[in-house]
Amino acid sequence: MHQTSPFSLTGKTILITGASSGIGRACAVACAKQGARVLALGRDRERLQETLDLCGSDQVHGALSLDLGDGEAIGEVLIFLKEHAPIHGFVHAAGVSPTIPFKVMKPKQWEEAFQLNVFSAVQIMQLLTKVGIKSADGMSMVLISSVMSEVGEKGKSLYAMTKSALIGLVKSLALEYADKQIRFNAISPSVVNSPLSEKSLYRNNEAALQQVLDQHPLGLGEGSDVAHAAVYLLSNASRWVTGTNMVVDGGYLAR
Amino acid sequence: MDQKFLDLIKEALEIEDREPQMEDAFKEYNEWDSLSQLTLIAELDDQFGVTVTSDELKGIITLQELLDQVKKAQG
Repeated sequence: MHQTSPFSLTGKTILITGASSGIGRACAVACAKQGARVLALGRDRERLQETLDLCGSDQVHGALSLDLGDGEAIGEVLIFLKEHAPIHGFVHAAGVSPTIPFKVMKPKQWEEAFQLNVFSAVQIMQLLTKVGIKSADGMSMVLISSVMSEVGEKGKSLYAMTKSALIGLVKSLALEYADKQIRFNAISPSVVNSPLSEKSLYRNNEAALQQVLDQHPLGLGEGSDVAHAAVYLLSNASRWVTGTNMVVDGGYLAR
Repeated sequence: MDQKFLDLIKEALEIEDREPQMEDAFKEYNEWDSLSQLTLIAELDDQFGVTVTSDELKGIITLQELLDQVKKAQG
């Protein structure tokens, strides 16, 4: 008798934000490879389609282009989810990584960063946990945090605040929803090669870039390194795992 | 305006032990780094309403040249 691997996502529908590039796109591709039907959310319609093309045609995947930085956009997400329910998993990879000196940080900047990095996930998870949208077999929610939820960096206080918020969020929600078989976990990557990290200050400074490289004993990561952790957390292999923060960082935090 | 500009430089770069001079090559200050550069750009925008990009800063050596750039941007 053929036995499905516990790491398989066959038969699952997974919603992924930030799917038009970087870690989000890598998660979409990795989930599709494991047999999932992918629902991709992102700002850029063309790049979302590229993501779906990379996901292959074994499943009928879906895409919705919208700006999650706009809190009003959530109504469109509800309609989209109702069309594709039941949903078995969620990956929140949408995010911005602002570098702003603390003394010149503005309310508009922290409102934008929190809306995209944190509150859009909150809004979507409120929809996903509704009867009629969630899978009756339970769900797995995976929020992409950062090693900056654990260690600091000059100019990254706003980013660190948003990513730390996600860690707090998964812990309380893990308890609140355990009896409904809905699991919440975070992944904290360090620097991976992505459009977001390409914009970092150190990319224009050879000495600073070398310092970042030296901080990663296994070198910089790829989006797929994070995506494979997400696949585990979305799969039945992690059925006993909730409220955790999985560090995937090439050894960055080891020292 | 010159004094307001010099006060902004002191504040943005957190210079506490001396008075910046117009002929100073400010990027040679110990206080100058990638973060103070971002602070300076944000403060110039806040207090003078001008956008000086990091690319424009690359070609600027002295505080006088920076002030000239600010005045030019103000029109």
